[in-house]
Amino acid sequence: MAILQWRQNWEPFHDLERQVDRLLESMRFPLPALRLDRHQPPVNLYEMDEEFLLTARLPGTSHEQLDVAVNQGILTLKCNRPAPQGVADERFRRHERIWGTWQRSFTIPERVNEARVSAEFTDGLLLIHLPKIEEVKPRQIQVVATPA
Amino acid sequence: MTEAQLTPDSAPACAANGEHDRGAQSQQPAQRPLFNPPIDIYESSEGLVLIADLPGVTIQSLDLQIQDNRLTLYGRVKPFLPAGAKLLHQEYAEGDFLRSFILSDEVDHERIVARLNAGVLEVLLPKAPLAQPRRIQVNGH
Repeated sequence: MAILQWRQNWEPFHDLERQVDRLLESMRFPLPALRLDRHQPPVNLYEMDEEFLLTARLPGTSHEQLDVAVNQGILTLKCNRPAPQGVADERFRRHERIWGTWQRSFTIPERVNEARVSAEFTDGLLLIHLPKIEEVKPRQIQVVATPA
Repeated sequence: MTEAQLTPDSAPACAANGEHDRGAQSQQPAQRPLFNPPIDIYESSEGLVLIADLPGVTIQSLDLQIQDNRLTLYGRVKPFLPAGAKLLHQEYAEGDFLRSFILSDEVDHERIVARLNAGVLEVLLPKAPLAQPRRIQVNGH
């Protein structure tokens, strides 16, 4: 919602309006994590029987611009969300979406089989499957009686 | 200077949701939360461009309609989680997207085009052509 009506001949108010709008937008979020971390796309983590599932909202990203890597227990996501091409700043009436390059790393539990981590990206939603290592079954050790 | 205007509608989302097709509602008995998607609006040479982030929304699950001068976008996100998934860490809430806008008369409703790609909706709202001044020939008899 616009608090101040932006007029073209009042350039100083343009920035102020945007900032106030953004502030108000961010306060409407009920989640504290989002409020502090708005420059990064939000992620959720779920646990299922067989795997962990990390979901990230990355609208406007193509899968070529997305880089998912696992190395020694660290999962790293890198991505670029391009701004609309060839649009000058002053043409924007409203700007609420986040753009730019960002990177996030997560420590993944030791129970995850790193070799089998897979990712899929559809409709701006990234799903990263982190399969659990099958539990090592307890092994019974046979006690053999040695003749005295 | 008259310009095409696009004003986000401040009407509460739940009221607009009530008007929405009830077929979709009855398929999902559990009421899913609705969120205001973030948008950008900019001026282009042809008119206004509206961009909305709708991650998880497909062409089939997006409902974009104009009634009178109100443009409403309603995007449903198909739930993909298996039953029994336990939420360990949350930064966003699952739900659908709803937002509506008031269009000014300068927008040509007939020529609005929209496309959805990778969860981003782009709607082009062209300016209605202004009436051209017409010279009236004055004839002698």
